[in-house]
Formats: sequence, C-alpha cells, structure tokens
Amino acid sequence: MGVTCVSQMPVAEGKSVQQTVEILTRKLEMLGAEKQGTFSVDCETYHTAASTLGSQGQAGKLMYVMHNSEYPLSCFALFENGPCLIADTNFDVLMVKLKGFFQSAKASKIETRGTRYQYCDFLVKVGTVTMGPSARGISVEVEYCPCVVASDCWSLLLEFLQSFLGSHTPGAPAVFGNRHDAVYGPADTMVQYMELFNKIRKQQQVPVAGIR
Amino acid sequence: MQKGVCGGGRAGLALPGLENPELAEGGRDSESRGCTGVSCAYPIGRSVFISVVFHLITVVMEAPPVTMMPVTGGAINMMEYLLQGSVLDHSLESLIHRLRGLCDNMEPETFLDHEMVFLLKGQQASPFVLRARRSMDRAGSPWHLRYLGQPEMGDKNRHALVRNCVDIATSENLTDFLMEMGFRMDHEFVAKGHLFRKGIMKIVVYKIFRILVPGNTDSTEALSLSYLVELSVVAPAGQDMVSDDMRNFAEQLKPLVHLEKIDPKRLM
Repeated sequence: MGVTCVSQMPVAEGKSVQQTVEILTRKLEMLGAEKQGTFSVDCETYHTAASTLGSQGQAGKLMYVMHNSEYPLSCFALFENGPCLIADTNFDVLMVKLKGFFQSAKASKIETRGTRYQYCDFLVKVGTVTMGPSARGISVEVEYCPCVVASDCWSLLLEFLQSFLGSHTPGAPAVFGNRHDAVYGPADTMVQYMELFNKIRKQQQVPVAGIR
Repeated sequence: MQKGVCGGGRAGLALPGLENPELAEGGRDSESRGCTGVSCAYPIGRSVFISVVFHLITVVMEAPPVTMMPVTGGAINMMEYLLQGSVLDHSLESLIHRLRGLCDNMEPETFLDHEMVFLLKGQQASPFVLRARRSMDRAGSPWHLRYLGQPEMGDKNRHALVRNCVDIATSENLTDFLMEMGFRMDHEFVAKGHLFRKGIMKIVVYKIFRILVPGNTDSTEALSLSYLVELSVVAPAGQDMVSDDMRNFAEQLKPLVHLEKIDPKRLM
C-alpha cells in the first residue's frame, strides 16, 4: 500500500457530524474525485484477564484487534508501542478460544465507516467514527498509492491535504517518526487508526446530536 | 502480508504439524524395545489398545463436543482428524515409494520446518498451548500459528483422533507478538521430511530434530532412529465419514506402517 495519513476532522461549528462529512465529500467531488464504494475500519479492545495478571505481576496490557475493509482477509492485532501482527481472519476465532485469558471490553468497540474516493493517484476515505449508536467524530484517510517511502512523498501529501482540509490539515503522523526511509506498510496505517480511535475515545461526547 | 491475500504456504494446505513431540519420545522408546523388520508400530499398537481401554473407563462426560456444534458465533469449527504411526530409518524408502504410488501425482515435496510451542499460564490448571511454525527452506512463506483442542472423546468407534483446530497464517513478528501477549516458549524442534497428498488427506513422513542451543537451528540432533508418519485431514466439524476414508487409506499402507489413533494423554 502507498504512504497513508490518517487524521481527524473536527466537526464544523454549529453543524452535526453528518453535515460536516457532507461538506467534506462535496469538496472532494468538486475537486474531481470519483466515489468508489465504501470502507470500514473497526477496532476491538482486549485486556489481560485478572487471572493471568497475578502470575506475571505486570500491569494489564491492552491489545487491539482491528479489521480494515481494504484487506478483507486480514486481521491486525497490536499493542500500543508494541508489535503489530498481521494475521488472517481465523485470528478472531482464536480470540474466542482465548476468552479465558483475554477479556473483550465489549462497550469499547469503535469503528469508522464511510465512502471511498479516488482522485488520480490518491485514495481518500472519509468516515464517521462511531462507538455503539453514537457518532463521535470524523476520520479522514489519504493514501498516495505510487509511493511507499514516507520521506519521498510527505510534502506532496501535505499539499493535497491542504487543498481540501484547509486549516485542519494535520502534521506528519508519528508512525513516520524516525524511520523516514523505511517502507510503509498496512500495519502503519492500523497504528494510526488505533491512535485516532484512542484520541476520540478520550474526547468528550460530541455535543451535537449523533446520526439518527 | 499481501493486500487482501492470505498466503497458504504449501498449496493451500495447513503446514505439516507435529502435535505432540512427547509422542516422539514414546515412539523412540517403543523402537528401542527390540523392534526389528519392516513393520514397526506394533509395539505402540498393542500398548495403545490397553491404555485406551483404561482411559475410556475413566473419562468424564462434559459439555457437548465441538463436533456437535459445527458453527459457533459465525465461524465454522474445523476439526483435525489424525492417525499416526512410525517407520524405522531403513524402511523409509519403501514407504516413500508406496506413498508416491498411492497418492496424488505431484512433484515430490520435502520440507524443513522450525516449530516453537508457546504456553500461556493462567489460573486454570492447564496452560493454553499455541504452536508457531516457520519454514526454513521456503523464504517468504508466512508463519503458521496453530491451536489444537483436547481430543474429542465422543465415539469410541471413530477410527481417527479428532480435535478442534484453528490454523492462522501470520506475519513474521509472531514470536515477539506472542511474548507481548504473555506466552512463553516451552520447547522447540526442527521437522524435516516429505509431504504427500491424496484428495483432502495429507500424509507427512518426517524426522524430528532436537535443537541443542536454544534459538540456533543449525545445531540439531535427531531425536530417534525413526520417521514419524501422520495422516491427517482438516474438515468442518460433524463430518465423521472422513475417518472411514482415512482408515481405508491406512489399510493400504500396511504392513509397511501401521497408522493408528494414538491418544496424546496416554503419554503424559
């Protein structure tokens, strides 16, 4: 996959989440982007059960199990600041078997769903982040498909982001970090989504009404 | 991991797996009890029969076995049906020759795998076991993670050992990830041998090597003077006719090797 930047779009003043998403998508369509179906990224959180904690004597770790519709046969499992495992969908079956050791915090399942747009070499995905029934924010993912090295195309990506996000353009994602010359991969995108979901989870509930 | 594609290693089959290295220890002891000639699994066979009878007398009735619940929570429960036996080194060639004749026509396939067994200890009495396997001769193959459940004790007439099995292909950082989850490596070994296929049945003939220096797969020594032979099928739960087909195939391999249902618990 190409270098990708995942960021959050704050909800416009006096508008709902859905209206802000519509403003964004209209801007993209005016730019000339073509709608190409939908996408979804979801994330479930697991924490080590109390029984395993006792024997190890360490603080419980949070494990995130994520899926991305761009890779329908894969499942991503990651720890914060830890390794990201890419596995096939049987990993979910394994998590069911492991339920004695890893408990899923059901209420914390978070996902983003929305439309996928293609604009020349860019793939833009604008989604509504929901936790349960309520909409909590907006995620914007932009991928520059031809390039896999972050340092080579970050300035181009930034310019493109500015053209439709304006003042809400994000800075360089933390995953680019020190390894500017490393090959970018899907695991890096999932790490960005995990960080975005965690940020949104900590935020106050969006004051405007959610999607009805 | 390729976009949207899950690598399968050997033609979509689950990578050959040794479920219980303890079995190999048992095998070795049986061989050294003076087994000569071509047929070599008889000593195992006789003692298995006696211990299986004792074991069945003491079995405790539990919740319905997984075989009665083919689909749970949207995912199909896959079961592994297994028959095992062994041949001494000098009988290997005749066995391979017969297998080449009986099995599907394909290029003779050999493999060299490194398997690590990880345990997660919780408050439950028995730790959770996961097997991580990587190919040492095929660069770029995904790692293979395998979970095997307890053998189903349902039908005594069933010809093969049946247990729930979950196979997952993963990226290369599997061991780091398992350690992060809390798993600790219990033991590791190298398996080297031949792979055959007949329809959905997989026949593996391989030798187990003990790793002398942990983590160094170059210094190994053979665990026994024999090769382990396994006939296995991975099929959705509830398809017991599979074990009949397996028994019929195993009949054709006699007297070169006697493939039998060997209960791993007997060896503990």
